[in-house]
Amino acid sequence: MSFFPLAFTAPWVLLALAGAPLLYLLLRVTPPPPQRVAFPPLKLILDQKKPDATPARTPLWLLLLRLVLAVLVVFAMAGPVFAPAGAPSAGKGPLLLLIDDFWTAAPDWSSRVGAVEARLEEAGRLGQPAAVLALSETAAPRLQEVSAALAQARAVAPKAFLPARAPALPKIAQFLNAHPTAHVVWLSDGLTGCDGEVFARELAVLAPEAEVLNDLRAVRALAGADNRAATMEVLLRRSAATGPAEGKIRAFDARGASLGEVGFTFAGLEAAAHFDLPTPLRNEIARLDIAFENSAGATFLLDAGARRRRVGLVSGGAVEQPFLSPLHYLRDALKPFADLREPKAGDPDAIAHLIDEGVDVLILADAQVGGPETREKLDAYLRSGGAILRFAGPRLAAGGDDFLPVRLRGGGRTLGGALSWDRPKPLAPFDETSPFFGLTPPAEATVSRQILAEPEEGLPAKTWARLADGTPLVTAEKRGSGSLILFHVSADANWSNLPLSGLFVDMLRKIVDRAGIVGKLGASGEAAAQSAAYLPPLRMLDGFGALVAPAATVKPLPGAGVVVPDGDHPAGLYGAPDAPRALNAASKETPLAPLDFAATGLKRTELAGPRPLDLRPPLLIAAFVLALADALATLLLGGRWRRRAGPALAGLALAVLFGAGPPPATAETPPSRAETVEKIPQADIDAALTTKLAYIVTGDARADRISREGLTSLSEVLSNRTALVPGAPRGVDPARDDLSFYPLIYWPIAPERPQPGAAVAKRIGAYMKQGGLVLFDTRDAGMQVEGGPRTPAQNWLRRFLADIDLPPLEPAPRDHVVNRTFYILDGFVGRTTGGPTYIEALPPETDAANRPVRAGDGVSPIIVASNDLAAAWAGNAYGEALYPLDPGGPRQREMALRAGVNIVMYTLTGNYKADQVHVHELLERLGH
Amino acid sequence: MAPEPAFLPQQAARPDPGKRHDALDLARRLPALALAARQAAASLQSGLHGRRRAGMGENFWQFRPFIAGEAAANVDWRRSARDDRLYVREREWEAAQVLWVWADLSASMNFRSNAALPSKLDRALILALALADSCARAGERTGWLGVTRLISARDIVDRIAVALIAEARRNGERFEDLPPALPLRPREKAVLIGDFLVEPSAFADLVQRLAAQGARGHALMVFDPVEQAFPFAGQTEFFDETGALLRAGRAEDFAAVFSGRLEAHRDSLTQAARAQGWTLSLHGTDRPAAEALLHLRLALTADGAR
Repeated sequence: MSFFPLAFTAPWVLLALAGAPLLYLLLRVTPPPPQRVAFPPLKLILDQKKPDATPARTPLWLLLLRLVLAVLVVFAMAGPVFAPAGAPSAGKGPLLLLIDDFWTAAPDWSSRVGAVEARLEEAGRLGQPAAVLALSETAAPRLQEVSAALAQARAVAPKAFLPARAPALPKIAQFLNAHPTAHVVWLSDGLTGCDGEVFARELAVLAPEAEVLNDLRAVRALAGADNRAATMEVLLRRSAATGPAEGKIRAFDARGASLGEVGFTFAGLEAAAHFDLPTPLRNEIARLDIAFENSAGATFLLDAGARRRRVGLVSGGAVEQPFLSPLHYLRDALKPFADLREPKAGDPDAIAHLIDEGVDVLILADAQVGGPETREKLDAYLRSGGAILRFAGPRLAAGGDDFLPVRLRGGGRTLGGALSWDRPKPLAPFDETSPFFGLTPPAEATVSRQILAEPEEGLPAKTWARLADGTPLVTAEKRGSGSLILFHVSADANWSNLPLSGLFVDMLRKIVDRAGIVGKLGASGEAAAQSAAYLPPLRMLDGFGALVAPAATVKPLPGAGVVVPDGDHPAGLYGAPDAPRALNAASKETPLAPLDFAATGLKRTELAGPRPLDLRPPLLIAAFVLALADALATLLLGGRWRRRAGPALAGLALAVLFGAGPPPATAETPPSRAETVEKIPQADIDAALTTKLAYIVTGDARADRISREGLTSLSEVLSNRTALVPGAPRGVDPARDDLSFYPLIYWPIAPERPQPGAAVAKRIGAYMKQGGLVLFDTRDAGMQVEGGPRTPAQNWLRRFLADIDLPPLEPAPRDHVVNRTFYILDGFVGRTTGGPTYIEALPPETDAANRPVRAGDGVSPIIVASNDLAAAWAGNAYGEALYPLDPGGPRQREMALRAGVNIVMYTLTGNYKADQVHVHELLERLGH
Repeated sequence: MAPEPAFLPQQAARPDPGKRHDALDLARRLPALALAARQAAASLQSGLHGRRRAGMGENFWQFRPFIAGEAAANVDWRRSARDDRLYVREREWEAAQVLWVWADLSASMNFRSNAALPSKLDRALILALALADSCARAGERTGWLGVTRLISARDIVDRIAVALIAEARRNGERFEDLPPALPLRPREKAVLIGDFLVEPSAFADLVQRLAAQGARGHALMVFDPVEQAFPFAGQTEFFDETGALLRAGRAEDFAAVFSGRLEAHRDSLTQAARAQGWTLSLHGTDRPAAEALLHLRLALTADGAR
C-alpha cells in the first residue's frame, strides 16, 4: 500500500459494488408505500380520482441517498484501513513484544499500552500470532492468538523496582530459534539501568531487525529527602536534560491529605526543592511525589526516621513546682516540635520505662542514673542510636557518673555571686564545628553558676558551646551510634537565665533534630536493637507510585542489607504499622542515563508515531445516519410526517432555528408617515366603517365559537328588528387590537385560561373610560349559590378587574333603562334564567314614584351577566337554538335575544329612552 | 403510533350489553322525555297527552247533559245538584305520544379514526337506545323504525336490542343505510340517526315518504372528526366500506374539494329535511353523547310548540 495509504482487509467484498446498478433499478421501481386510510365519505370525492396519483418512481434524491447508503455498507464490510506513512507495519512472521515493565516506563504507560495494542491489532489483521514478554518476569514467551496476547499485554503493569534484563536473553534466543521469522519489538524505557547496554547489544546480535519503541522523554525521580533544621530538602534527578525543567512536588501525610506543594526547576540533571513548613507539619509528611509524574521513582516515602521525635523527660527533683522545676522550662521549650513522654509519678524505674516507650531523646534534668540494670539499658539505648541530654544541677554537682561526656570537677563555680568578684558570664559565639553554629547567643543570656569539666585531652572537640571566657557550657560525646550531651547549667532559671531565652529553645531543637538524624543514619532504632529480625511488608508501591497491599510474592525485608528494591523486596513500607521503614524505588545511586541505541544498531521508532486508522466504524456510523435520514424521508413521502410527528418536529426545528439564529434586526429609523398610514390593519378599517359587535378571544375554543355564533345571531336579529345593521362580529385580542371601534365587547369568562397581563387590564380600563361597554359573562349561573363561595369565573373576573377603576355595581334593577331601551323586559335571560346581572349603580331615587324608568348619566361601562347570553343567542339559519337552554323552549331564546337587543340599544342610545317616558305627558300638554 | 383509521368488523355493530348499559346510563342522567304534542297522536294507549277530546283519562274535560238511557252511575251528582238538569262528568282523552327511532347500522358507520373515540355506529346506537328509554319512562310509546312495533315497556332497551340482533341474523349483518320508507301516521314523531352518506335525493325521497301523512321528525348526522377536518397529507390511499379506492399523491390537495363537497352535501340534506318540516343537526363523535341527546330532546320538545 505504498502508493495509496488505504488498505482493505477483505477486498473481495468490494465485488458487491457491482450489484449497485441492480440496486439502482430495484430502488427506482419500488417507491415508498402510501399510507392506507379508511375513509367512509370517500364517495363524495371519488370522482376526483386522477389516473396517475402516485409517484411511480422513487425521487432521485432518495434514490441517491439509498445508493450511497448501500455503497457505504459495502465499503465498511471490506474493512478499510487508513495507514499513513510511518505507521507500524508488521513483519511477515509472528510478533514478539518485549516490554520494559519498570517504574521508569510508568509515566507514559498508557501510550505504551496504546502502542502495544496497535502492534497486536496490526498482527491480528494480518493473521499473525504473537508473544508477549514482560522483562521483569521469568516466564518464557509463548506464541498465542492475538486476542490472548492482547489480554496478556494489557495485564502487564509497571513494577516498583528495576530488575536485570539479562536473564531474559536466553529465553528470547530460544524463542527466536523456534520462530526464526519472528519480528521483535522492544518497548524500552531508554535507560542504561537494568543491564540496558548489555541487553541492547545482545538483542542486536540475536535479532538485527529488532525494533525499539520508546520516546525521548526524560525519566524524573525523587532521589531523597532530607529533613533539615528549618526545611525539608528534596533531591530530584532526571535521565536527560530534555522535557520540561519545571515541576511541582507534593507532600502528603500518612492519611493522604495534602500538606503542601513546592515548585522545582532542573538545572542540569539534578534539582532540589525545599518545603518551608513548620516542623510539626514537616514531621507529618509521609510521602512526597512529583505531580503528574506517576511512577514509583517519582514517589518518595518517609518513614519514622524523618518524623517527629519522642523526647523522654526525667527530673531528679521529687516535688514539682511551676517555675521552679527544670522540667517546666524543658516542657515549654520542647512542646512545639517534639512528642514529650514523662514517667508516671513515683515510677521507680522511670528511665527504663521511657526507653521502652521508644523515645528518641532522653533528657535527664539533674537526675541520677540508677542501678546497674538501668545503666545497661542506657548503654544499649546509646548503642542503638539514642541521644541522652543531661542538665546539671545540685545533685549532679554533688557527684558524677559514667553517662557524662566529660569528667566533672567537683563543686562547680559561681559567677557574680555575693562572694565573687566576677560578673555573670555571657555566651561566646558558637564554633563552626558546633551543631549550634548559626545561632546567635543573645547578650542578656548569662550564666551565674555552672559545673566545670576537668580539663583533659579532646575537651575542645567535645565542646558545643562555651562561655565568653572559654569555659565549656555544653559538651557532647558520641557513644556507639548515640550521643551523650551535657548542659553544664541547670534547666531552670537558678543557675542561669539561659532557659528563659529563645536561644534555649533553638539549642534544644538543634539537639532533637540532630538526634533524629543520628538515629536514622545508623541502623535505625528498634530495628538495630533486634537486628536479626525481618520486617514484614506493610504497604507496597506499585509502578505508578500508588500504595497498594503487598503481593504474595513479596518477602520480608532483612533489618539491614537491602537498600535497593528488587523483585523480592519492591519499594514500599515494611515493618510495624506505627513505625514502618521505607524502601524507596529511586535513590542517589539509581542509574538514570539514556541508552544510545544508535551504537547498538537497533532501529528506534517513536512511541507516539502515526497509527493505522480503521475506517469501518466511521463508515458504519455514516451509513446509520443515512438510514435514519431514509426513514425520515419515507415518513415524509408517506405523509405520516405531517400528520403525526410533523407539528412537533416542525416546532422543534423552528425553535432551534429561532434560538440559534441571529436576533431579528430592529428598525434603525422610525417608520415614515406613509408607512404608518399603511400599517392600519384592514380589520380596523372595516370596524371603523361598519358598526359591529366584538367579542374577546379567550383562547378557549368552545367559548370563542359560541361567542361568534351568538353575536352573529344577535347581529341578524338586530338588523331584522331595529334600524341598526351591524357587520359581522369580530373576535379581538385585547392585548393587540385597537378596541376603540367597537361600541360593545362581549367577554365570556373562561376561568381555565390564564389571566391576561396588567397591560390588558390597562387597555380595557381605557376603553371603558372612553365610552365603551364591556359585557362580561361569567356563564356560571348554575354554579352560583346565594351566599355561597365564589365560583372560579367570579374569582377570575375579580382578579382581572382588581386593577381597573370601576364605578360601584349593583344588580340591575327592574326599572333600569337597560330593561326599557327596546323591549320591556324583566331581566336578562340567557342559556340559564336565574343568574344575576350587575350594572353600574344608579344614583339614589329621588322622584322614583312617578317614573317608570331610571337612568344615570351616560352608559354604564360594564355589565356583568352570568346567564351565558351568547349560547342562548346562537342559532342556525332557521332560527333554531344551537345549544340546549335551561329550562328550554323557543320563548326563552326569544327573551334572550330581546335582552341582547336591549343591551345593544342601551349601548348605542344611552339614557335616551329614560327621557322618552315623558313623551306622553309632553304630547298631552301640546294638545291642550 | 395509533392504528390507521379503519372499519371495524361487522360484529362490532351488535347492541351488546355494554352499549345497552351506556345507553341506559346516558338516558338516566336526564329526566324522562315527554314529547311535546300540540295534538297527540291518535292512539288508544293512555298517556300524558290530552287529545282535547273526551275520552279515557284522569283530567276533567267537560260536563255534558245526561242523555236518557245512559247508565245512571255516570251522573255527576255534585254538579247536577246545582240546577235542575243532570250532568255527566267527562274526562279528557289522554293518549301516549309515539316516537320512532332509527339508527344507521350499516358498514360505513362502523368506523372510528382513533381508538380513543367511539365508532359512529356505537354513538348512533347508544343515542337511539337512550332516546327510546327516555321516552318509555315518560310513558310514551317508542319503536325502532322497521324492526319493532311500538313498545312502552320499561325494558324497552333490551327489547329493541333483541329485535336488532334477530334482524342482524336475518339480514346477515348487512343493514341498509336508510330506514324503510314506511309512511308514518299523523302526529307521530321520528328520529333518524346516521351518517347519511347517501344520495341527497334518496334522503329527500325517504323523508318525503315518512312525512307523507304529516309526521314530524329529526335527523342527526353523526360524523367522525376526520370526516370533517380531512387531516390527511402526503401519499395516501383512501378506501371505503364498498372497496372503492382513491390514490392521492398529495392528499392535502383534496382537502379543499372535500370540504366543499361535504358542505354541499350537508346543505342539500338540510334542505330535504326542511322541505318536509323536519330538522337536521350535526354531531361529531369527539363531542359528548349527552350533548347530542340534549339536542335531540330540544328538537323533540320544541317541535310541537312551533
